[in-house]
Amino acid sequence: MKKSKKLIALSASNKAYEFNRPLERRIKYQGKKVDIKLREDPNGFSYIVWKNKKYMLDVIEKNQNRYTIMVNGVWHTFSVETPISFKRKKYLEQQGEGSANVSIEAPMPGKIIDILVEEGSEVKGGEAIIILEAMKMQNEISSQVSGVVKSVMVKKNDSVMKDDVLIEIQKG
Amino acid sequence: MKIKSILIANRGEIAIRIIRTARKMGITTFAIKTAKEPNAWYLDEADEIIDFSECYDDTPEFLDIERIIYNAKEHHIDAIHPGYGFLAENPDFARRCEEEGINFIGPSHDAIYRMGNKTVAKELAKKAKVPLLGGSKGAVPNAEEARKIAAEVGYPVILKAAAGGGGRGMRVVEREKDIERMFKLASNEAEKAFNNPDVFIEKFVREPRHIEFQILADKHGNVVHLGERECSVQRKHQKLLEESPSPALNDALRKKMGEAAIRIAKSVNYYSAGTVEFLLDDANKFSFMEMNTRIQVEHPVTEMVTGIDLIEQMIRIAEGEKLPFEQKDIKLNGWSIEWRINAEDVQSGFSPSLGTVEKISWPESDQIRVDTGVRDGSVITPYFDSMIAKLIVHAEDREKALQLSSMAIRKFWIKGTKTTLAFCRAVLQNRNFREGKFNTSFISKELKIHYHHEPDEELLAAFFAVYDYAREVHEIEDKPLYVEKGKEIAPWVLNKRLR
Repeated sequence: MKKSKKLIALSASNKAYEFNRPLERRIKYQGKKVDIKLREDPNGFSYIVWKNKKYMLDVIEKNQNRYTIMVNGVWHTFSVETPISFKRKKYLEQQGEGSANVSIEAPMPGKIIDILVEEGSEVKGGEAIIILEAMKMQNEISSQVSGVVKSVMVKKNDSVMKDDVLIEIQKG
Repeated sequence: MKIKSILIANRGEIAIRIIRTARKMGITTFAIKTAKEPNAWYLDEADEIIDFSECYDDTPEFLDIERIIYNAKEHHIDAIHPGYGFLAENPDFARRCEEEGINFIGPSHDAIYRMGNKTVAKELAKKAKVPLLGGSKGAVPNAEEARKIAAEVGYPVILKAAAGGGGRGMRVVEREKDIERMFKLASNEAEKAFNNPDVFIEKFVREPRHIEFQILADKHGNVVHLGERECSVQRKHQKLLEESPSPALNDALRKKMGEAAIRIAKSVNYYSAGTVEFLLDDANKFSFMEMNTRIQVEHPVTEMVTGIDLIEQMIRIAEGEKLPFEQKDIKLNGWSIEWRINAEDVQSGFSPSLGTVEKISWPESDQIRVDTGVRDGSVITPYFDSMIAKLIVHAEDREKALQLSSMAIRKFWIKGTKTTLAFCRAVLQNRNFREGKFNTSFISKELKIHYHHEPDEELLAAFFAVYDYAREVHEIEDKPLYVEKGKEIAPWVLNKRLR
């Protein structure tokens, strides 16, 4: 089998960035050839020189082919794909259907102070459903969608981790 | 009496800040070590360490009044500086220091108590002929009473913890239907944060500016103000940047507000450094909000424009010295802005971002000051607040201070954790901010996107992701990784060799 000569970084908004492998210093960008110089400074920071400006980069999270990269303080997520895995991903996306259940997850680690809904409650998008205390602040967690509460996975005084599912809502 | 030693009842950047001045004055410093961050930088800066690693009960180390007092006496320490937060505005702590003959570097316990009690403070302000907002007389006993008072004052109203500060225990209520729920929330939060569930109600001024005046007062009745700080850029009542002076004030208004601040300070025979907070509405009408009886996080902007070391003055005042200047000697030079850098994920609603600061660096210049408690390898724990550094710039005027900020933020590099730097960039991009037209609703109304990136940055991030991925594959497959001018090189190896 012929080895693929390209790698694709697919952003969270489904934008595909294609690069030749091995990576080259001169890349094609918006129809032009531009230099992309990867360097490391004496303090151990990685940076890219791009159009005469330095951009500091950092791998914040990495899980197999999924990356969170920080550039100048802003993070971006990608999955790195080969042309074959990229095609398969696109195909699966077309087949898949959006789930009717939406999970409300803890945006930060903390403690559940109050639950403002119960199973069967109707909620409107933007409505506060849980009070979560983190870093000594009480935060209102609201539902992004309107629907009916299908299940409540936590109770008062529970400690939760980031991304723990708190409540499931059936869209409606 | 000369102070020869100081116990710092605090941690992080403010502990280091106090140590710097103490060292300059030839004073020995003692710091408190906790099990929560036994390798923190401030411990290395102090001359002596008192170990609180062993815990006897659930009282947090920096709130344990008797333990702190006991150790101060045990080590024959002359004075205690409380920094900000923790015990800084606890009248019992100041009183216990006074009782034990320890010099508390701050105001009297009586001044702390009276200004800390919002009801008493308002009475004092009224007597001092300083404008005030309508609201409840003291704490509101229950949700039903809250509903009544709010109806009298007129919506919107704000609920505030009587013992509060720093935005905790504060809730704005727009409509009657929310008042009971919000009252309970505010009261809970107040109980948690300050051990006191008392909440009072105040008329809420829509979209005011938050302007505060720095006060210095000695024990001989001399009081001066050091100009104002503009603190309107806030998110959920948490300040994110401060500047001095404020784009909203002219000399006449500054004089009027400064004199009001001095009257407030005199009403409690205040001494030490303190801050009088005002709301300023769009018609330039100001009302007294509260007095913070301690050094503030944002004190550096005042130091930059006045050239006065506030910590040094606090120590000298505690020693009984007279202020070395009068009001006419105070000049505001140029413009200073402080950017708070918090370990928070701006892209996920400012949620706390824990982890390790692998590396931190910033551009050094005499116009740039960085107050921080972290260095390479510092761990960000969930036990304390999320602020890891303050970037302070000082330039001739606001325009230049903004330019300098852009440059410094771009070159402020932190590896290993998410920070609010991206938020700072977003603020700097905003035209109304640049033109000085903003108020406390700036973040919620004006700043739609809380972080800023240049269009090409996603491409660079994509390149870096692919690079990192290819590097791992390269290690497995031994394929060429990166080509420059037709030659295969690993830039990492190359750069390391050059060094």
